[in-house]
Amino acid sequence: MHEGDDVMERRLRRDDLLKLAATGAVGLIASRSGLAEAARAQLAKESGRLQVLDWVGYEVKPLWAPYLQKYPGQKPKFTFMTNEANALAKMSAGLKPDVVRPYVGYVQDFAESGFVQPWNTKLIPNLKHLNPTMVKAGQYKGRQWGIPEDWGFDAILYRTDKVRPKANSWSLLFDDRYKGKIAWFDDLNQLVWAGYYLGFKKPYDQSDAQLKQSQNLLKSKKKLVRIFWSSETDMQSAFASGDIWIAYAWPADWVAMRGKHLKVAYMYPKEGALSWVGMLMLGKGTSRPEHAHAFANAWSSQQSGAWLEDNYGYGHSNTLARPKSKELVQALKLTNPGALAEPHAHIDRHIPRRALYARLWEEVKAS
Amino acid sequence: MTVHSPAAEAAPQPKRRRLRVDLTTPGLLGLPVTWLVVFFLCPLVFVGAYSIDALHGPSLFGETHKVTLAAWHDFFHSSVYLGLFWKSVKMSLVVSAIVVACAYPVAYYLALSGTKRKYVLLLVLIAPFLTSYLLRVLAWKVILGNRGVLNSFLFWTGARSRDHPITQLLYSRFAVILVLAYIWIPFVALPIFVSLESFDRRLLEAAGDLGSSRWQAFVRVTLPLSMPGVIAGFLFVFIPTVGEFVTPSLVGGTSGYMYGNQISDLFSTGFPDWQTGSVLALFLLGVVALLTAALTRFLQFRDVATG
Repeated sequence: MHEGDDVMERRLRRDDLLKLAATGAVGLIASRSGLAEAARAQLAKESGRLQVLDWVGYEVKPLWAPYLQKYPGQKPKFTFMTNEANALAKMSAGLKPDVVRPYVGYVQDFAESGFVQPWNTKLIPNLKHLNPTMVKAGQYKGRQWGIPEDWGFDAILYRTDKVRPKANSWSLLFDDRYKGKIAWFDDLNQLVWAGYYLGFKKPYDQSDAQLKQSQNLLKSKKKLVRIFWSSETDMQSAFASGDIWIAYAWPADWVAMRGKHLKVAYMYPKEGALSWVGMLMLGKGTSRPEHAHAFANAWSSQQSGAWLEDNYGYGHSNTLARPKSKELVQALKLTNPGALAEPHAHIDRHIPRRALYARLWEEVKAS
Repeated sequence: MTVHSPAAEAAPQPKRRRLRVDLTTPGLLGLPVTWLVVFFLCPLVFVGAYSIDALHGPSLFGETHKVTLAAWHDFFHSSVYLGLFWKSVKMSLVVSAIVVACAYPVAYYLALSGTKRKYVLLLVLIAPFLTSYLLRVLAWKVILGNRGVLNSFLFWTGARSRDHPITQLLYSRFAVILVLAYIWIPFVALPIFVSLESFDRRLLEAAGDLGSSRWQAFVRVTLPLSMPGVIAGFLFVFIPTVGEFVTPSLVGGTSGYMYGNQISDLFSTGFPDWQTGSVLALFLLGVVALLTAALTRFLQFRDVATG
């Protein structure tokens, strides 16, 4: 890894050395071990709770339990994001998380945003167990900006007792027969699946004309849609109560609805599901780098990965983690990270004109 | 021995009084004026700067850009944003009208029935305010949902089958209007109650003596005299609801999406577009200010006319 990435060394070389001189003066004079003790003392000064900007549902302890074992009683403080744009908006407004989780398509956006900094991979021992392709996906310009953790799909959840799809296609999200029973995700990615449905070659980088077509498709079909969900909890609540039967959803929603004894299926559209890998990123200028690295290492553990797979139905980048349920493995392709890539699915990627996509999506909502 | 003339003793008094007045006025006005400047005018200036791209993103100082009116131009040439604004205005007008129509009889009864318990009843009216706004809105989801209280009742009576609930109750424009009306009724009832209670009831007796029926007395005396309260109540509802975003986001669905939701999304959930968001916010502020000014003038005219 890059030498320049070494946050801990940098901390000790600069201003901290001055503090060490003051706080550990006696030790410094007495012996070289005094320097080490003073250094440890300084690092132990990382005070306050770790600030994590994450998605709802990821605040549960089993997903980062090893962190608590290392720092007993120091539960992180979670703030929630509804999507990456929302996280960027919060950080633009002044929130300074130590750790934030965008997905793989946003690695470049976040790296260039000035809100995050590369990790020191030496401080994440579990990194060696993570899927190398996913680890590489977290790199930008040769630095490790994202630590890959959870992975999964954006596809279609529907009630098998209420809905008879004409085809395994994104078109189920605007099937006239189910007007008022459909939910879309409140995210600019809706223009991406529309692009795949329309047969464009690069839906993540559509031309102006293509974007207009995708937007027009969404605008014309919006009347069939009951809700644009931004909170997964709200969507699940509406789905469970029967207000909606078809939803743009994630694997965890399929697991949750099965848990409520609903007859549901998770459809992978023939045009290709969208897929993603969650990337933990380190807040720029964090005052708790050691805690942040420990948190990422905890999330990267086999223990956390297995819990994620068993309980949320998401895959985990730790290659040692395996879910207990064979049904989950089959339905959600949990042991096959290759399912994330072409031609099975379209992995989330950088959108060069993301701001334009966002604007067009806002216009769809306002139309 | 010093001789004090009465004139000499009286002379300093006006000076002291003037000094006291000079200190009292800025003392009383200082805090609210400072508050307005710091928390209203300054933020408005910043929002204005964002709308013309003089400021960009989170940096208030040190990062300036070339001023452009592009966002304003796009806004006024966008049928989408203006259409959404008009939709919100219509929804808000409907809410305000419904609320005034519902609140007036309540306020009328409380003010003119002569009941000794009117203040207790008034307290009951505002009792829902003792609970959280969010809870009050969410409670409607329980009532209006497919398996909610209303639909369950219809299933129970056999009016609807379980497979065919009334789906338009929740996640619809109707839901937004209903919930907003419920929330704002006490806000309107209070000003109407105050205006009704304070007017001289001998006027009603005089109207009766001159041969007016109760209805005529209401139309020609009570209603005109209570108009200040009605208009104030109408504004109390219209101004906040036209920019409302919490209720629509919880019960509105796609059809109940309002102008306030768009502003909120542009600042938060959308890929941050503070420039467009600022334009939308300032336009809303401007329209509401103009409308308030116009109605206030009307209100004064009515006051003079009826006075």
